Amino acid sequence: MTILATLLWDWLLGAFVIGFCMGWVAVVYRGPSVPKVWIRRLSVLAVVILAIAAAKLVPGRFGYWFDLGIALFGFYLLGCAVGSWLRDIVVTRQQARFR
Amino acid sequence: MHGFYRWSAKWWPGLVPLAVLWIVAAWFSTPVLKADLTSRSTAALKSTVLDKTQISVAGRDVNFAAEAFSEEGRRSAVGSVEAVPGVRLVNDATRLVAEAKPFVWVAERDNVRVTLWGTAPLPASKARIAEAAKTALAGTEVSDRMGLKRGAPPRFDGAAVLLLEQVAKLKEGKATIMDGNVSITGMARDLGGREAIAAALKNLPEGFTVAANDVKAPPYVFRANKDPVANTLTLSGYVPDNNVHAALVAAAQRKFTNDKIIDNLKASIGAPGNFAPAVTSALGALSRLSTGTLVVNDREVKLSGDALYEAAAEQMRAGLARELPQGWMAKPEISVKPAAAPVDASVCQQLFNQNLTKGRVRFETASASINADSAGLLDRLVEIAMRCPTTKFDIVGHTDSDGDPAFNQTLSEKRATAVEDYLIKAGLPGDRFEAIGYGATLPLATNDTEDGKLQNRRIEFVVRPNP
Repeated sequence: MTILATLLWDWLLGAFVIGFCMGWVAVVYRGPSVPKVWIRRLSVLAVVILAIAAAKLVPGRFGYWFDLGIALFGFYLLGCAVGSWLRDIVVTRQQARFR
Repeated sequence: MHGFYRWSAKWWPGLVPLAVLWIVAAWFSTPVLKADLTSRSTAALKSTVLDKTQISVAGRDVNFAAEAFSEEGRRSAVGSVEAVPGVRLVNDATRLVAEAKPFVWVAERDNVRVTLWGTAPLPASKARIAEAAKTALAGTEVSDRMGLKRGAPPRFDGAAVLLLEQVAKLKEGKATIMDGNVSITGMARDLGGREAIAAALKNLPEGFTVAANDVKAPPYVFRANKDPVANTLTLSGYVPDNNVHAALVAAAQRKFTNDKIIDNLKASIGAPGNFAPAVTSALGALSRLSTGTLVVNDREVKLSGDALYEAAAEQMRAGLARELPQGWMAKPEISVKPAAAPVDASVCQQLFNQNLTKGRVRFETASASINADSAGLLDRLVEIAMRCPTTKFDIVGHTDSDGDPAFNQTLSEKRATAVEDYLIKAGLPGDRFEAIGYGATLPLATNDTEDGKLQNRRIEFVVRPNP
């Protein structure tokens, strides 16, 4: 894993940055949300995908791209979470100042 | 927590740039990863002994094909690749090297090169054998066509290296290892090579036995060439030892009184039996030729050249085989030298004197039988006598002063008669010469010294003045 992180750190950082920006925006975003039922279904899908990756079922180059996608998605989610959390802190402070 | 749940429902728009990033990352990182994993997998196998190793990387999966020399080695090789960081899966296409039964290895030498055939048990032993071949056969091209298989007998390398050293002693031939059996055939390069190979094969590693040793020795050759222009006798080839060498050179000096001896003989074992008496006889025959070559090849004596006159040629054609020891074969190819231009009586006397100064007609001690060493000199005297057909001459015998004067007188007469008989046998008419003996009455030198006596014991040819 260390070797992979060394080779792929720039791409993973990119995914994190995209996630951070998306998370930052999501707190104040007023667009459509993913329905709760879909989030559940997608969570199940994510578990299935992780299981497939863990079982190394996809061979060769496609297997690597599959794993790469999961890693990028993981860092994206992490970025989103950090972004949203920080934005939430900022927004909460602003609201407190206005009051 | 509730906030996170709410926010996460709005994270989906970022998936679009994420997908783009994914495609770009896949595009650029795949070749980098492939190169990295290939080099590190190859490096991981560096210390493992394998044949036909092939590594190809697809994504993070390594397709690994190779032939291993043991099950343990095979497993360890696969384990080494699996342990390379970043490798996800190893597609194991390794197998064991085929087993050879019987295990055969051959080193074959021809005029041009040495070819190594068959199989070696490990790449290291293959390299070691090829290296040993280059060392043992320095200057000869070595063609390595060995394959790799399992099933070699223990201490195979040692046996192969020892055999290569023996192949170096062959002119052409073949050494084979078949399981524990060693066989070697061919022609030894040098005399004594066959014996050296037989001795070396006793040092084969434990577990190896000599199944066949059919190495032939090269012919044992002795050559003598008489050159009448340069007045040389060149001796070349082999003699069994230094004693025989000295004896043969001494015999040549006695027989070739007119010629300078050039001695290029080398001592070597492997001579056929009765070598010295056979060569001595053959040299005697060569001394009677004007020009000629003697080639002794094992037990075959080939004498070619020109005799000085017809009767001598006939005597040698018929007599050479008789003079040789039993089991030896004679091949005389003798022609007769064209008759030399006639000369007058005074030149004839001069030529007699020249020949009898350089050499002496030798007899057995206190006997009138002519020593075989004098045949060449007598033939030259006959040839001179033939060149002056109208000249008459006396054959005069002298002795030293040792012994009874009456006995010496008789001995000198008998010796002169013996020479006369030789001339008559050669075809000269008996009325042209007369045998006379003077005993010790006309000494040339003092009889007080051995050297003086030697000079006094002599035969002279004295041309009679024309009436």
